[in-house]
Amino acid sequence: MAITSRAVLVALLGLVPVAVLPAPVTVLAWALVVVVLCAVDVALAASPREVALSRDVPRSVRLGQPTASAVTLRNVGRRALRGVVRDAWPPSALPDGDAPTGARTPRHEVAVPPGEARTVRTPLLPTRRGDLAADRVTLRTVGPLGLAGRQVSLTVPGRLRVLPEFASRRHLPSRLARLRELDGRAAVQVRGAGTEFDSLREYVDGDDVRSIDWRATARRQEVVVRTWRPERDRHVLLVVDTSRTSAARVLDATRLEASVEAALLLGALAAHAGDRVELLAYDRRVRARAVDTHQSRVLPALAEALAGVQPELVETDWSGLVAQVRSRLSRRALVVLLTSLDPAAVEQGLLEVVGRLTRRHLVVLASVADPELEELRTARSTVEEAFDAAAAERAALERVAVAARLRQRGVEVVEALPDDLAPRLADTYLALKAAGRL
Amino acid sequence: MTAPAASVALRPGEVLGDGTTGRTRAAGGWRRARPWLVVAAVLAIGVLVLLLPAPRTSTTPGAPDNAGASGSRAIARVLERQGVEISYVRTTAAAEAAAARGGTVLLLGDVWLVPEQVDRVAALENDLVLVDAGWVLSSVAPGLTAGTDAAPRRVRAAACDDPDARAAGTITASGSVADPSGTATVCFPPAGGPATEGAYVVLEQDGRRVTALSDLTPLTNDAVLDEGNAALALRALGRHEHLVWYVPSLDDAGTSAGEDEGTSLTDLVPWVRPVGLWLLLVLVVLVVWRARRLGPVVAEPLPVVVRSAETTRGRGRLYRRGRAHGHAAAALRAGTATRTAQRLGLPRSAPAPALVDALARATGQDARAVEQLLYGPPPTDDAGLLRLADDLHHLESEVHRP
Repeated sequence: MAITSRAVLVALLGLVPVAVLPAPVTVLAWALVVVVLCAVDVALAASPREVALSRDVPRSVRLGQPTASAVTLRNVGRRALRGVVRDAWPPSALPDGDAPTGARTPRHEVAVPPGEARTVRTPLLPTRRGDLAADRVTLRTVGPLGLAGRQVSLTVPGRLRVLPEFASRRHLPSRLARLRELDGRAAVQVRGAGTEFDSLREYVDGDDVRSIDWRATARRQEVVVRTWRPERDRHVLLVVDTSRTSAARVLDATRLEASVEAALLLGALAAHAGDRVELLAYDRRVRARAVDTHQSRVLPALAEALAGVQPELVETDWSGLVAQVRSRLSRRALVVLLTSLDPAAVEQGLLEVVGRLTRRHLVVLASVADPELEELRTARSTVEEAFDAAAAERAALERVAVAARLRQRGVEVVEALPDDLAPRLADTYLALKAAGRL
Repeated sequence: MTAPAASVALRPGEVLGDGTTGRTRAAGGWRRARPWLVVAAVLAIGVLVLLLPAPRTSTTPGAPDNAGASGSRAIARVLERQGVEISYVRTTAAAEAAAARGGTVLLLGDVWLVPEQVDRVAALENDLVLVDAGWVLSSVAPGLTAGTDAAPRRVRAAACDDPDARAAGTITASGSVADPSGTATVCFPPAGGPATEGAYVVLEQDGRRVTALSDLTPLTNDAVLDEGNAALALRALGRHEHLVWYVPSLDDAGTSAGEDEGTSLTDLVPWVRPVGLWLLLVLVVLVVWRARRLGPVVAEPLPVVVRSAETTRGRGRLYRRGRAHGHAAAALRAGTATRTAQRLGLPRSAPAPALVDALARATGQDARAVEQLLYGPPPTDDAGLLRLADDLHHLESEVHRP
């Protein structure tokens, strides 16, 4: 049961007879008229339970990309249906979902003759990563008088997976170019211990004479050099820390968002470089994982795995994490820890167990730096600011100290502002690869 | 409200209705509403039970519907049983209206009366019984005044030849009325007092009988059974078939009659009341329209919003509250020392004198001043800390200048 604005107007119209014949009987009579009209309209309205509803939603969408949810109404009753449909989604799925008042789900006017079907489309613009479950579809039919009608809210299944935005993919082309460059110059400049023999080719001016293969030269008429290429088929394990330290906000987004961006860029780059990429999201238990797959499917697999990862308000179980990593890796690998360089958290957790990782693997720790700390450190015009600057200074010193202790244990530490973390981590990876340290 | 046709072929993913029919919905609604209906019924019965046997009683002293110690319901009940009709009134206007039918007018207290009301009561042609109403009494009979002293409540003998007083014999009363001129019959004088004073005075005046009692006590439920109180009260009040029982009230200004307040808006515009009523109904319809939502509100868990720098700010606040100027200064100095040493190419482990020397050379400042700045005594107040922070910043900017 529901009434419309027209019913209110009809009630307001009753002012005329009541003013002309001012008696309680008139009031009663017109009230009766309104009630009877509404009841008749309800009785004549099409039943909202005689409509077959179905929802069509894309399986997944990238964060910030517009999409739409389509609801199809098939009238299986005998009456023509006229009414309003609301396809309800959580506020963060709607355009303007970030508005402080929340977003209002659009409502659609529909008219469906018996036996026919109509589709209404609700535009969506997800603003949060993760799985979005559609709420109910509400259908309100109106009677022929347009005074009142019937309403029902039905659960129609619908789910939209919002993948990470991967804004750092704009850095990918330049890094891929660097990777190719690395491939080409490998013979010229790089003769590290880990590089692999690729092929023999003719000597050209500028080649390092140390790379001349004398034995091959002797067999042929010209001078032949060995070419090297960066190692391929190395293991890269991306470990995303989803504990409480990942929930803190730096600028507008959580630390975890920057970690996800960095993991995606590094994953895409490593996949192109021919390495085997795996992913693990962990705090006290495994939150998500992506296993080794074909090169072309690495990025979708990573995005899919990271889509539903949210910060958990728990402390990381570092020894459990190390055990996980060791059980996943059979040979030497690059382990990238995307976590935070929070001095207290690192000293009580990671520092004690990181030795077990660095013994076998190359470990890189990537952490998001907070630009607000630098602002706090340099603002010193009032006493309050001076105290805050002292606190920021102390925090920075502690971070430097803890980073130094990590480096002593053989960990590469990368610390950068949220937007710079992904390219900086990619550069570190390229540098390690160029140095043949993988 | 009919069940959906079972024969409809649904395509995959389609949802048809919620499996309810008009009957099941009605049954569900009845089931949900039942506990509330039971509660409402119990409440209604409770209210009825509370309302039904409650007699109209008050706590006004001397009122005929007051069953308490200071009330007079006992006297009123006995008078009614003897056939006296009692009109209980609270305003002068009502008293005048009731007195127009004749009978006795009983006035209990005159504290709340204004002069105009006193005059109107005095002007009544009925027999008057004035209890504890010295002002009205002196207005009715200028010769009579209140007693010279507040005689205590005692048992007093009639000591006069008024038949009512003689029939009562003794009463318990306090106070007295004085009759220096001797125009009235004075009864129940206080012990040891002059003969011209008494608790009960009777006066014939212009064909009416005016009786004055200095005290309410003989009429109250509490004291009516003592001595001859009942006899005096019943005889004084039961002279006529009709008794106007007037207990003045504070909210009766007595100046206007109450019936003719002038014409109101409803008299001028006859449809104002029905239209107002109708607008209320329209408001109800409006509320019904707006209150029905198009589907329930969709809830969504919100992310936690904690700024990363929050802990650092907290630490700064702790420094401030603890007035830890020394700690803060040490942190600022260590930060500057670390950065400048790095800038000047000194190792992290470089000793202090080496750093001071290098800084003095790089900035051209006096080595003593630099050492004082970096390793001097810690500041002890806000101004000192602020100056130190400023100087360190200055030093650093000089080093960092290319």
